[in-house]
Amino acid sequence: MVYEFEGRTEEEAIEIAAAELGLARDEFDVEIVESLRGGFLKKGKTVIKVHTRDLKASQRDSREGREPRETREPREPRAPRPQGEAAPRKLVAGLEPDGDFELKLLDFVREVVERMGYGCKASVLFREEQKLGIRIESESAAILIGKKGKNLDALQLLANVYAGKLGREDLRVIIDSENYRIRREESIVKMAYEVAEKVRRTRASVLLEPMNPFERRIVHTTLNDIVDIETKSEGEGLYKQVRVMFRGKK
Amino acid sequence: MERDLVEYIAKSLVDDPAGVSVNEVETDEATVIELRVSQDDIGKVIGKRGRIAKAIRTLLSAAATRGGKDVRLSILD
Repeated sequence: MVYEFEGRTEEEAIEIAAAELGLARDEFDVEIVESLRGGFLKKGKTVIKVHTRDLKASQRDSREGREPRETREPREPRAPRPQGEAAPRKLVAGLEPDGDFELKLLDFVREVVERMGYGCKASVLFREEQKLGIRIESESAAILIGKKGKNLDALQLLANVYAGKLGREDLRVIIDSENYRIRREESIVKMAYEVAEKVRRTRASVLLEPMNPFERRIVHTTLNDIVDIETKSEGEGLYKQVRVMFRGKK
Repeated sequence: MERDLVEYIAKSLVDDPAGVSVNEVETDEATVIELRVSQDDIGKVIGKRGRIAKAIRTLLSAAATRGGKDVRLSILD
């Protein structure tokens, strides 16, 4: 199978690919399709093609390659959707839930969505040390995401509280649907660069629309490297606003 | 139904699920969902700065089942 991913840098594109495919970095081959180096205020862009062996084979291989510390039942990954290579950026089916905790959490998400009146499938999208990604597939994905991800955020907040109740306060649960979070991240990065350019040109500060903590962090880190631009969060509550300011040379 | 949604979420988050009761009251302009939980569990359904209650309200207003009417959540003690 071949998938296409895009990131600001090669490293980032690979990271996105690994997260979306639910594979370790050494489990797929990467081919750089296009690479534009980012300039001072220019956003770099790298497109990569990821070659995976037939998923089942690749997961089996990697299992055999590792030390035999895994005693779990071999999990059969669900077959990728039959869209073939024509659908880059489409996800492979999720990972199987691992253990009681993940099963309970996925159940919770599905039960909530069903009681909202929508059909849905929930699966594990990725696992990191202190993060668990959950993917929702639904015909009503657009409503479940909501305006600016409002509904997805609400669902994610409740899933985090529920995970805490199950004894995993340390874990951050991330819920995504239709790659919304990744698409949103890309558009925030792009917007941040555009605003920074405008601020440099006009020297007037710009107050961005209210964003959640995760989105604000993207703005801060994106503009962190730009010497004459400063960012600051303003306001109260979950959805604060970031102000982008000109700092200039003193 | 909105009732079930609120009841399911509340029961999942509190320590005393038996203490959860949900009542639905129809008024002309809105459906009001009244949620009661055990005294010690109130914080579990409201959350810091009301963020849990707000999330429940957000999902309520996105639910498909409501027939164009406003749905309100009131948490009673």
